[in-house]
Amino acid sequence: MKQQPRRGESIRRFSPLRLTEHWVNAGAIVVLVLTGLAQKFHTLEASQWFVLRVGGIDTIRLIHHAAGAVVILLTLQHILVAFFLVVVRKAQPGMLISRKDFADTLDNLRYYFGVRQSPAVCDRYDYKQKFEYWAILTGQILMTVSGLILWFPTWAARFLPGEFIPVAKALHTNEALLIFLLIAVWHIYNAIFSPDVFPLDTSIFTGRISRERMVHEHPLELARMEGIPVEEVLKERREEMHLLDAQGFLQH
Amino acid sequence: MERRKQWMGWLTTGLVLILAAVAQAATPMSESEKCLVCHGRAPIEPTAVGVEPAAPYVDRTALAASAHSETACFECHRDFASGKHPRQRFRDAQQRKLRYARLCRQCHSDAEITLKPVHARLLEQAQEGVAPVCTDCHGAHNVAPISGGKILQSERRYCLGCHEHPVSTVLQSGETLMLQTDLKVLDGSEHHMLSCSDCHFGFSAQEHPQRNFRTRRDYAIASSDSCKRCHFDKHTRTLESIHYAILNQGNQLAPVCTDCHGAHGIAAVGKDRAFSAKRCKQCHSAVYETYARSIHGNALINEHNQDVPVCIDCHRAHDIVNPLTLEFHDGIPDTCANCHSNKRIMGKYGLSTDVVKTYLSDFHGVTLNFYRKQKEALLKPGRPIAVCTDCHGTHDIASDAESDPRVVKERLLLRCQKCHPEATENFPDAWLSHYEPTLEKAPVVYLVNLSYRIFLPIMVVGLILQILLHIWRYAVNR
Repeated sequence: MKQQPRRGESIRRFSPLRLTEHWVNAGAIVVLVLTGLAQKFHTLEASQWFVLRVGGIDTIRLIHHAAGAVVILLTLQHILVAFFLVVVRKAQPGMLISRKDFADTLDNLRYYFGVRQSPAVCDRYDYKQKFEYWAILTGQILMTVSGLILWFPTWAARFLPGEFIPVAKALHTNEALLIFLLIAVWHIYNAIFSPDVFPLDTSIFTGRISRERMVHEHPLELARMEGIPVEEVLKERREEMHLLDAQGFLQH
Repeated sequence: MERRKQWMGWLTTGLVLILAAVAQAATPMSESEKCLVCHGRAPIEPTAVGVEPAAPYVDRTALAASAHSETACFECHRDFASGKHPRQRFRDAQQRKLRYARLCRQCHSDAEITLKPVHARLLEQAQEGVAPVCTDCHGAHNVAPISGGKILQSERRYCLGCHEHPVSTVLQSGETLMLQTDLKVLDGSEHHMLSCSDCHFGFSAQEHPQRNFRTRRDYAIASSDSCKRCHFDKHTRTLESIHYAILNQGNQLAPVCTDCHGAHGIAAVGKDRAFSAKRCKQCHSAVYETYARSIHGNALINEHNQDVPVCIDCHRAHDIVNPLTLEFHDGIPDTCANCHSNKRIMGKYGLSTDVVKTYLSDFHGVTLNFYRKQKEALLKPGRPIAVCTDCHGTHDIASDAESDPRVVKERLLLRCQKCHPEATENFPDAWLSHYEPTLEKAPVVYLVNLSYRIFLPIMVVGLILQILLHIWRYAVNR
């Protein structure tokens, strides 16, 4: 019998490994974005000021390569751990995209437009999180490959046509912008400015999430954890939302 | 009272008039006046047939302004004293001039005239058989007071009196320095309005200082110093040049102003660009030969194309810096951009003006620009980065369109390997040869860029819409 957390309690969501992964990835990406954008937009006064401040273009590239190496190792580690967990430990791959995610997307859109009464019923990771996860993971793989070609162009030209080097450059610079915008717009909104979590979604830093948020955002996972039918969690969610509605009504 | 005053006035006037008439009649016409009755009437026909026309005409005004205004004609022309007018015949004008020039020496003794150094040299020549002609410098009837010597005739005429003859001097080294110059050369030069002493300062009709030079080169170097009196801006620029640095190290073969521009025959610069290049050839003949075979040199020499660069366009004329320095190397894209980014010039030959832009936006150009900025910010200088000339060559620049692509690629690989020693055959293809990526030239790069250009805005707009919907739903729920 599983331990049953009750209202007001918090639930462990991330292991220390995931917290470390987030910290390392966040740090490396900040460094990569700063040193990368300064090279991409090299004609801007601000870029030139930044490059000179750091100590020159060679230093910038050295830092960029070092941070890049960190991301490469981290990505490799992540894939290996995922492989180990799924294949050896037979763990449930929570990030896999299923047909349900597309249905959830539509459900949620219906909910946003007021066609549906309640938001989609999601599992451990909702479709937004899965989209971001896969965008970042594939992005980092693309960045790793193109980055390595740019870092070691003569080595790459040994087994690739020479044209692949400018292709890698185009890919690297465009994908970098994509990742940057994805994080700056989507991730920062969902983790900081979204009314659900404002001022900050702390779960990736503390590793814990409140049971209340589990009820709202991950009812399927909560039901599985507590060994109760999902309808019970959904009932709880409806009650809380009506409560909210009532409060809203009273306030008016 | 009134009447008496009037009468006295008339009387005085009458007396004065009578006295003046008497004086006029009593003073006989002076000897000189008599001569001028005929000789002051211009022009008198030649006195002899078959000889060059003599012009025994005397300009009254010039005579009156001359140092000899108080001198009577026969004081010089003694043969013509007391009414005599002997017939004179001369072989030619030169003989006549020599004869008349001797008249001066009747009064002006050797001792007197040798007081001026310039005369001493002339008298030496007289002993060698070349008779000096006083009137060549001083004029004859218009002979001027020495204190106003510069207006004798013209200063140039004055100096050329000696210096158009093959005068020379022997220097300390035993070398002979010719001091001769030609009026035609002077008149054809850019300096035809200048007087001799404008450049040869210290020399004048009065002053002819003795100069001592060891060698002819010493003299040339010292003389070129006078150019800076007017062309000071050019002079200060040469101080930064490699030629000046070499000269300063004691290499006297380093060129000075006159070596490129000439001295008395100084020509206008910029009129003929091929001429300018040939000036450099005097010392840099091997480079010139290479240049002459290049696309630029060939067009200049064989097609008289004035658009192509000559030496000074890349190396500059006065502040020529050492082309082997990193500073010069780093500036090469700018040098080439002077023409290759100019639509007006490139349009004539159907050449792209994007070559510099594509270089500067690629890896090497970006790095180079940062290195240049770093240098300005006094950070340590970077490594040399491949610039235009590293792939295209310098003096031997050839047209890529006319070269075999395989040869170009082979040469490019060798060039790549200078900085990327492990580069292999595929490596040079990494460079898009100054082309902007298009479907024809670099299709994959073009498609990658295109797909991101389409996908990125869609993604960002989609995400922002999601966010807005989310906020809207939240607001409605409240």
